[in-house]
Amino acid sequence: MSRAQLIRNIARVAFLCLVASFVLAPMLATVLGGFKTNAEIRTGALALPETWNLEFYASIAEDPMFWRYLLNSLLISIGCVLLTLFVGAAAAYVFAQIRFFGSRMLFSYLLLGLMFPFATAILPLFIKVRDLGLLDTYWAVILPQTAFGLSLAILLFRTFFEQLPKDLFEAAYLDGCGYVRFFFRFTLPLSTPILATVGVFVFVQSWNNFLLPLVVLNSREAFTWPLGMMQFRGEYVTQWNRTLAFVTLSILPAIVFFLAAQKYIVAGLTGGAVKG
Amino acid sequence: MASLDAARSSEPLSLRLRRGLGNGRVTAVLILLPPALILFTLFVILPLSESGYYAFFNWNGYGSPTDYVGVENFERIVGHSIFQTAVGNTLKIVLISLFIQMPLALVLALLIYRKTPTNAVFRLIFFVPYILAEVAAGLIWSFVFDGNYGVSASIAAAIGSEPYFLLADRDWAFVAVMTVIVWKYFGFHMMIYIAALQGVPEDLIEAARIEGASRTQIVRYVQVPQIKPALIVSAFFAIIGALQVFDIIIPLTNGGPSNQTHTIVTYLYTFGLTRLNIGFGSAVGVILFIAAVTVAVFYQRFFMKRGAVA
Amino acid sequence: MADVRLEGITKRFGSLTVIPDLHLTVPDGSFTVLVGPSGCGKSTLLRIISGLENPSSGRIAIGGKDVTKTEPSQRGISMVFQSYALYPHMTVAQNIDFGLRLAKTPTVEREARVAEAARILALDDYLDRKPAQLSGGQRQRVAIGRSIVRKPEVFLFDEPLSNLDAALRTQMRVELAQLHQSIDATMIYVTHDQVEAMTLADRIVVMNKGRIEQVGAPMDLYDRPETVFVAGFIGSPKMNFVKGAAIGHEEAETVGFRPEHVTVSDGGEGFEAHTKVVETLGADTIAYVEADRLGELTVRLPGHIRLKAGETLRLAPQDEYLHFFDQNGQRMEVSR
Ligand SMILES: Nc1ncnc2c1ncn2[C@@H]1O[C@H](COP(=O)(O)OP(=O)(O)O)[C@@H](O)[C@H]1O
Ligand SMILES: [Mg+2]
Repeated sequence: MSRAQLIRNIARVAFLCLVASFVLAPMLATVLGGFKTNAEIRTGALALPETWNLEFYASIAEDPMFWRYLLNSLLISIGCVLLTLFVGAAAAYVFAQIRFFGSRMLFSYLLLGLMFPFATAILPLFIKVRDLGLLDTYWAVILPQTAFGLSLAILLFRTFFEQLPKDLFEAAYLDGCGYVRFFFRFTLPLSTPILATVGVFVFVQSWNNFLLPLVVLNSREAFTWPLGMMQFRGEYVTQWNRTLAFVTLSILPAIVFFLAAQKYIVAGLTGGAVKG
Repeated sequence: MASLDAARSSEPLSLRLRRGLGNGRVTAVLILLPPALILFTLFVILPLSESGYYAFFNWNGYGSPTDYVGVENFERIVGHSIFQTAVGNTLKIVLISLFIQMPLALVLALLIYRKTPTNAVFRLIFFVPYILAEVAAGLIWSFVFDGNYGVSASIAAAIGSEPYFLLADRDWAFVAVMTVIVWKYFGFHMMIYIAALQGVPEDLIEAARIEGASRTQIVRYVQVPQIKPALIVSAFFAIIGALQVFDIIIPLTNGGPSNQTHTIVTYLYTFGLTRLNIGFGSAVGVILFIAAVTVAVFYQRFFMKRGAVA
Repeated sequence: MADVRLEGITKRFGSLTVIPDLHLTVPDGSFTVLVGPSGCGKSTLLRIISGLENPSSGRIAIGGKDVTKTEPSQRGISMVFQSYALYPHMTVAQNIDFGLRLAKTPTVEREARVAEAARILALDDYLDRKPAQLSGGQRQRVAIGRSIVRKPEVFLFDEPLSNLDAALRTQMRVELAQLHQSIDATMIYVTHDQVEAMTLADRIVVMNKGRIEQVGAPMDLYDRPETVFVAGFIGSPKMNFVKGAAIGHEEAETVGFRPEHVTVSDGGEGFEAHTKVVETLGADTIAYVEADRLGELTVRLPGHIRLKAGETLRLAPQDEYLHFFDQNGQRMEVSR
């Protein structure tokens, strides 16, 4: 490596480290803050704690409500994933495999969801969920969330299904395999990459969702973790260490999982650009 | 399968139906399609249409809307100074995204798009904020900006100055919000660019190098033009994203101080939902819808030629 | 055991007519090869027989039974695809078994049939593998196995060997011929390769632009091509065509003679030709020559004649092997 290259490389890494510290410092302060007394946070928010107090973390971990929030989020997210995968893949399969009168129109109709943000319809959605008697149930989040995610899911699924070899269907068809059976026996098992992509993507969206649960969940029993976190923050306004411990404990598992699955998240996100 | 149908469409309907049932074509359509149609209609299209209807009423959400007020809601919204601020803030987010966040993301992508272990670590680090829930990000940064008990307080103590309350400053609070937005989303744009840069054939770059192009020339004349579709897509995400900012604001400023940091969605939430002004809030929703569709249609028309995939 | 009769088959894709009014009978137990250039409609015709495509009009009968409106799985046919179309997520055994399961064949019989197919095709050791773990030739065998377990009356093959390398293709050709002998079902085989057609078929159907040019045994087509198209398509290297007038046969529009039916003459008969390219194959020598008035010709000479590019020869087509065609490209008899 020449001198000039070496210098350039050092400059490059230095710049990257600078940005990395901008990214990491707030999160580090958060994790460490959970071990400190509030007085210590006030004087040295970025320093290592003088003594590592475990009590704040422990008190969160012992709080049944904390686990309740996480469980609610988990069940709702899983519900969204399963429903999206099943309903979305089934519809996409019909569009990919069967041309019938009006199929293009119905397809365009289902893609309308790509055009506008969730928030545009949030008030009527609230009214509808309330009138259906679903407030404070998991379905209040699962159904609208799935419905809004369907457009993207169907688009991604159909693109993938259409790329499966055509003569696979023909061979199975000659063997006497019908359309519905083909969906379950061939299309689904052969589409695990796209199922994983959409599944992970929907999970992340649902896990992190805030506005919809905020609007349709009112009782603490039904809260998802972001709501629980805001609730907790409201209760301990001056005690950052407790809130920070709460934040750390609730986001850590998600971050580990999401980083492991980042490939799928990026694929889902960028795939959303294939419009038309 | 197009061919199967082309032939069949010339047969009488009864025959087509009979055969369709025989091999499950019609059954497949009737079983597999309706769940999606029902779900989508009930929870997307219907609420959306209702937005357009409620927007013309003064209604608190109970009973059915009767107090027809014409376009009064729209007039009130457009004339409302806080709404104007919210729109201005949304535009500011767009500008910051286009002119600070995207260039930053592009520079970083160019620095680390090659597949080496070090680069992989940096990529992971830069992507973490994106993965974080918006609310959590907002909460963490409200801790950072807290001049009483947070990081700001301890920095002020360290340098011996008076603590500064950034989020309480009418002029600077939204700058703080935008800092958080850049922090949160630059990694996402960077990932899009990295994927695109990795798709640029290496021989293109080598050919340019052999012809004597410098590093910056290669970036300028080879790499950036090659990833233009990715840039267009990421700008689209930035604009649509700006229209939707909500979660981050709530823990950070909740729209304050003195309603200076609202976005369109926080405005909708604060003045529509929390006060149960369903008609008023629906009208905000309609405006948001029109904005989003305009952006999407405009974008499709002018930028997204077929296959503009990142 | 069944013959296949196609009556008045037409096929249109939108405004494009791929097959205009086609009649064909494939005799019971024959190995019939549909051959013709790419895009002439062979696959379409095969798919119409299988039921994957419906004809725009016309009738299909298999074993005397009209199956025009019958579901593919009920027609007593099976098909081997060019890409094999093996089910990637199933093992070899499951691939072969799948059709039987769907047909609700009793388990004992299914197992027996799969075992028998595996034995015939030497697949016993691979039954638990997935298609991705097989070589090209093995995949081909699985595809064939999948079709024989169903004991169809008619086997359909759509260019099944075109994804194999040359050596394997020769080997599979032999195996297919043996298969036909051992299970003597009707086989309809599509290819664009006339060598494959000549070696496999007991009957060849030459197609061109959706029409049948000629039907016959391989050597009949070689000896007595009914049209210029068949004459040019069957045989390798291709037959030479010259204007009738140019070689003293004014009554014929076109005269054809095969490269192997040209001799080197030392006397006054024949014509002068300059060799341009010479391919020495050992047993034979193929020479591409330029002849006065006749243009470019191909000749096949015995290997012992040593030739170099740029030499001048005197060549004479053998009179008894001349083929005469009229303005419409139809064969005509000329008294000599
Ligand atoms: N599904 C279809 N739609 C439109 N045209 C088709 C379709 N299938 C085949 N064709 C056309 O029909 C002609 C014959 O095709 P094919 O039967 O596949 O030829 P071959 O197998 O002899 O090469 C071609 O011109 C092809 O483009
Ligand atoms: Mg073909």
